[in-house]
Amino acid sequence: MAGVRFSDVSKRFGEVEAVRALSLDIADGEFMVLVGPSGSGKTTALRMLAGLESISAGEIAIGERVVNRVAPRERDIAMVFQDYALYPQMSVFDNLAFGLRRRKVPKETIGERVREAARLLDIGALLERRPGQLSGGQAQRVALGRALVRDPQVFLMDEPLSNLDAKLRTQTRGEIKRLQHAVRTTTVYVTHDQVEAMTMGDRIAVMNDGVLEQVGTPEELYERPANRFVAGFIGSPAMSFFTASAAAEDGAVRLRGAAIDLRLPRAPELPAEVAVGVRPEGARLWRDGGGLIGPLRGTVAYVEALGRETFVGVDVGEARLAIYEEGRTALQPGDDVEFGVLAEGLRFFSSESGEAVGASRGRSLAR
Amino acid sequence: MTSRREQSITYAVLGAFSLLAILPIVGILLTAVQDQGELAAFGTFNGFDPGNFADAWRDGNFGTYLRSSAIVTVAVVVAAVLLSILAGYAFGLMRFRGSELLFYVFLLGLMIPTEAIIVPLYYDFRDIGLVDTYWALILPQIGTSVAFGTFWMRAYFRSVPRSLVEAARIDGASSWFTLWRVLLPLAKPAVLTMTVLLAMWTWNEFLLALVMVTDEGLRTAPLGLSFFQGRNTSNLTLLAAGAVIVATPVVVLYVFLQRHFIRGMLSGAVKG
Repeated sequence: MAGVRFSDVSKRFGEVEAVRALSLDIADGEFMVLVGPSGSGKTTALRMLAGLESISAGEIAIGERVVNRVAPRERDIAMVFQDYALYPQMSVFDNLAFGLRRRKVPKETIGERVREAARLLDIGALLERRPGQLSGGQAQRVALGRALVRDPQVFLMDEPLSNLDAKLRTQTRGEIKRLQHAVRTTTVYVTHDQVEAMTMGDRIAVMNDGVLEQVGTPEELYERPANRFVAGFIGSPAMSFFTASAAAEDGAVRLRGAAIDLRLPRAPELPAEVAVGVRPEGARLWRDGGGLIGPLRGTVAYVEALGRETFVGVDVGEARLAIYEEGRTALQPGDDVEFGVLAEGLRFFSSESGEAVGASRGRSLAR
Repeated sequence: MTSRREQSITYAVLGAFSLLAILPIVGILLTAVQDQGELAAFGTFNGFDPGNFADAWRDGNFGTYLRSSAIVTVAVVVAAVLLSILAGYAFGLMRFRGSELLFYVFLLGLMIPTEAIIVPLYYDFRDIGLVDTYWALILPQIGTSVAFGTFWMRAYFRSVPRSLVEAARIDGASSWFTLWRVLLPLAKPAVLTMTVLLAMWTWNEFLLALVMVTDEGLRTAPLGLSFFQGRNTSNLTLLAAGAVIVATPVVVLYVFLQRHFIRGMLSGAVKG
């Protein structure tokens, strides 16, 4: 096993710069998730690591070895593709054995390793079938098995769950995590789904527009986003934002915006104009006001009842804030409502650069 | 859902076109088996005489000509299929400098008709002493067949999910191994369709054989038909019987491979 190091890696496709000066260290045995919207460069970064795309600038190392000019088959990596890429004309056994046979592993060892991987993934009964005879979930497990059986230095996974239905996705998420813990192979996992990233990654690297925005543990990214993009991308429902002017007032800070007037008793030093972010669980309906600051008044725009919890979208001036409510609510769109926010739930960002300001500043490793 | 009226119109139009396609063939078959003694006109039937095939076989020298046709067709198809697979793989899946330009050069072979190049080609072949040899029939047809075959196989390889090739590369397969062991088993319909088309075109080639060979032993089957069509005479029944003899091998090949042929023709249109 080995760690992976990206040093100032860039990739250009003609005029387009898909990845810009990416620097990222992935520790030996770590589960690193690259997450970001479409076109953020996460898949390109993974493909450069796999050797499927050349590198325009910079250096990629697996362990101590720089692999810029090393062929994919010599990098000792295994990859799980979004569409699984199983060889349709071969049985599941042959699919699993393919990489080992290419590497001239003795026949008996191949048999043992294939059966061991099949046992781990519970696909022993499928070994004689062809990929066309498998369900999506089974094909996905075979694709995982093909990577697992190779016992490579690094696993690369390119959105391997995106073709599964929601229930199977949740189940397989846990399974991949369990397998990775068992084998402790360094894993680089690409997804656009921030829930997958949050639940699976030891650390998460958030990418946007070819740039690494922030890297950190799921908790760090959630609690201390480095900028407005990360704050808005991580978390579901997303963090809501409003713009306000900040002014010191009797040792406190007063935030004023369209239809918003909040007095924060303990607030960090803020610029005159600031973008304020608040997660749904940081905003509650105003009942007795306990622990909340406010009240703010707005109109209900939507109600998302999920059973155990409800998210209520409230229009306040020009902003729309999502509010968390335990259980169900009688509120209807169009209702006027009063709510408050938790002071410690507020995050502040420069309204110009989007970078975090004040105490909520996260550790940004990019830009 | 289509209404009954729409369905009837569909059947009527399809039926009319089927008749247009089938009538000439039925006419030739009927003419081929009718009595030579009777006054023969195309599409009429004046008594049954299966002996026409034996006469046509003898008079048209089809024993020799079919053998020549078979040698030329097998040589052209085997070489063209192999070269087309290799060239199609390179153009379809490999990135190299000048690939676009080179591919257009290949396409020229598809666009320029044999009639346009046959005269200079004859003189070139005469200069290098290849006129009146099998090479004069085989080499030019390999050239034109590879032009089509490359175009065909490139389209096929481009339709293969890229991840399959990438998975093989990561799994340790070389380009050569990926082509023959991963991609080609999946390409069976495309390769067989190309084989049928190339075999049909090569088998039916007339002009090249007419110009390039005069040796009786090298002439191909379509030339044999011209014996029944003199300047002043034409034996319609023997001509039809000869046409049936010449067409039969291609029809047999098509019937044999038609399942793959249809799948190959559809593979570009319908997502598998």
